[in-house]
Amino acid sequence: MEQEKEQILSDISQINMKEQLLVPNPNNYEGYMKIKSFTPARLGLWRCGPRYKTQSVLRFRADHAAAQDSVFSSVNPELIKEMQFIAIQTLCQSKDEYLTRPDLGRRFSKENEEKIKQQITGHPKIQLVVGDGLSSAAIEANIKEIIPSIKQGLNYYDLDCEKHIFVKYCRVGVMDQVGEITDADVVCMLIGERPGLATAQSMSAYIAYRPTMGMPEMRRTVVSNIHAQGIPPVEAGAYISELLYKMLHYKKSGLDLKAVENENDN
Amino acid sequence: MESTVLSVGIDIGTSTTQLVLSRLTLQNKASSFSVPNIVISKKEIIYQSAIIFTPLMDGYTIDYPQIAQFVAQEYLNAGIDREAIQIGAIIITGETARKENAERVVQTLSHDAGDFVVATAGPDLEGILAAKGAGAGKYSKGKKAPIINLDIGGGTTNLAALDGDQVLDTACFDIGGRLIRIDPISMEVSYIAPKIKYLIHQLNIGVHEGSVLQSAKQLNPIIDVLVRVLENSVGVGERNPFFDHLITNHSFSKLDPSLVRLITFSGGVADCMEQDETQNPFIYGDIGLLLGRKLRESMIFQHKTVVHSHETIRATVVGAGSYSVTVSGSTISYTQSVLPLRNIPILRLAIEKAKLDTGKLANCIKNQLEVFRINGVLANVAIYMTGLSSPTFAQLQSCAKAIRLGADELIKNEVPLIVMTDEDIAKALGHSLFTFLPPKYPYVCIDRIRVGSGDYIDIGEPVAHAAVLPVSVKTLLFY
Repeated sequence: MEQEKEQILSDISQINMKEQLLVPNPNNYEGYMKIKSFTPARLGLWRCGPRYKTQSVLRFRADHAAAQDSVFSSVNPELIKEMQFIAIQTLCQSKDEYLTRPDLGRRFSKENEEKIKQQITGHPKIQLVVGDGLSSAAIEANIKEIIPSIKQGLNYYDLDCEKHIFVKYCRVGVMDQVGEITDADVVCMLIGERPGLATAQSMSAYIAYRPTMGMPEMRRTVVSNIHAQGIPPVEAGAYISELLYKMLHYKKSGLDLKAVENENDN
Repeated sequence: MESTVLSVGIDIGTSTTQLVLSRLTLQNKASSFSVPNIVISKKEIIYQSAIIFTPLMDGYTIDYPQIAQFVAQEYLNAGIDREAIQIGAIIITGETARKENAERVVQTLSHDAGDFVVATAGPDLEGILAAKGAGAGKYSKGKKAPIINLDIGGGTTNLAALDGDQVLDTACFDIGGRLIRIDPISMEVSYIAPKIKYLIHQLNIGVHEGSVLQSAKQLNPIIDVLVRVLENSVGVGERNPFFDHLITNHSFSKLDPSLVRLITFSGGVADCMEQDETQNPFIYGDIGLLLGRKLRESMIFQHKTVVHSHETIRATVVGAGSYSVTVSGSTISYTQSVLPLRNIPILRLAIEKAKLDTGKLANCIKNQLEVFRINGVLANVAIYMTGLSSPTFAQLQSCAKAIRLGADELIKNEVPLIVMTDEDIAKALGHSLFTFLPPKYPYVCIDRIRVGSGDYIDIGEPVAHAAVLPVSVKTLLFY
């Protein structure tokens, strides 16, 4: 114990808050911990007079900073290279523009359009698109686990996908343009979710059958909350592979897919 | 999107046999933007049978034809087809589980009662099902506090300590209402259970099979001991010298029962606690009423908070009908042709993700499989892995490879491969297994199941639009 006390904690966010109770001498420690286990909310922080304790304030600021960082940082170029992504960019030129002009984050320039056309030919059945979205940290945390899992799942259904696109300053709507450029049957976009104080590493998958620019949002199927504490990325990948298979089978996505599945059940 | 399944519970107890039919509603609790999460959202009892005395042929064997006839007749009365029953459980409890043909009776009946009705036995499971059936689990969940249920039946008292859905510990004592049987008119003692005979001998009371009682008071010293031991069992009062003598298999060992404040009573004797004092104490031909009355005056009521239970004499059967089956996680991977699977033992592996080594894990599986070799033949097992919360893809591959290598002999024998996990990874792990297994090799890979070593599982055919598999975790202990 003595030694532990002398160690330096270089990053306060290494503490698992679910296992930490700051209330001194709780009446029912087990009961309190059990309540905490049901929620990521910051329960049992205790106080100093009417204020939070220093530790709680620091942790709150650290988590808030992590959330902001994940919005304002970029996905490591090494990772993009390692994954052999085709790297392109939307019409946005900076993070500020990305945040203030959502419309520009949904379209490519002519130049980038050509780049995709050159590299992806023969209208693939499945096109994966990876986008930084509002959290680059989410992509860095999950992409290396989810893509092999999707590919392995597709193998189970006798399908495959190759040549994935990476989009910088990416909004979901850009997948529609990818659909039109590549003529893919199904486009699956993996994109960083707006970070919160609970996690900055949450990713979503937006998937659509033959998406077109200006199509109604109801044609997208969404799988959200993909991160280590939510849906594990490997399991999400397996589930997404099944969704891709179903969309190719029914030639539908979004609410249309749900409707046809329900019909078949009854 | 909702779907329902029909479940049957049958309890063949020391003194009574009964049946209930429940309708379980399965519902996807996740939003449309998330991976499905199908849970049992509602449990309704739609039919309760009459309670009959357990038919015995000669005191030592269970009269199977009579039980089968009872079940068939009750299905008819309920207007339910045997084919419509998708899941359920038969439990053989108390002293009845010690009868010669007990094991054969439940196995046969589980087939006759429906396609996926599981056979179970053992005092631990009985206590758990009774506690859940009595509503103790639900109460504990609401109060976020642990609870102990005492199911006092004809031959045994089964205790289970629950904290919500979680089982903390179980215990069982040879204390029940029918340990001494007395003719209500002639007051002649017709039967005394072996352990009570010893007790009578030690207490030096002149009562034996065949003797005629002058008054119910003659039995008071015996009833006193039984009540003291029940008090002790939940951590109240000074330890009675007969405590150990009356233990069936074990008392609470994993928890200190004196720390648990909430108590519920179920079983036939729980009903006897409520009845008025004036009637003939031997109206049921046994000591149930005497035991119930004495229990009502026990110190348990001063030291603990006794909560009213939802079910008393029906607690176990309701538990068997509504609480014996859970559903797997909703993202899983399986070959339908191999289902249902019955009586599969568990090979448990605690994985340390950071130290995962394919070769070592494969060897570990191979060695542990040897435990399940009977007469030179390897029995099929379910490989149950824990500690795999959000693994990397490489770790997942490593596990799948290790299973392929470690279970090589099972695969050569062409038995379906069964893999289960606690954490939500079964679909991905299933896809990995598919990659490493021979082409079209049958397998089942499911998650969100909690089992212990020594348990057995049954896995049924898919329900809720093929999204989940019903799973029954049980013990199969005949003694």
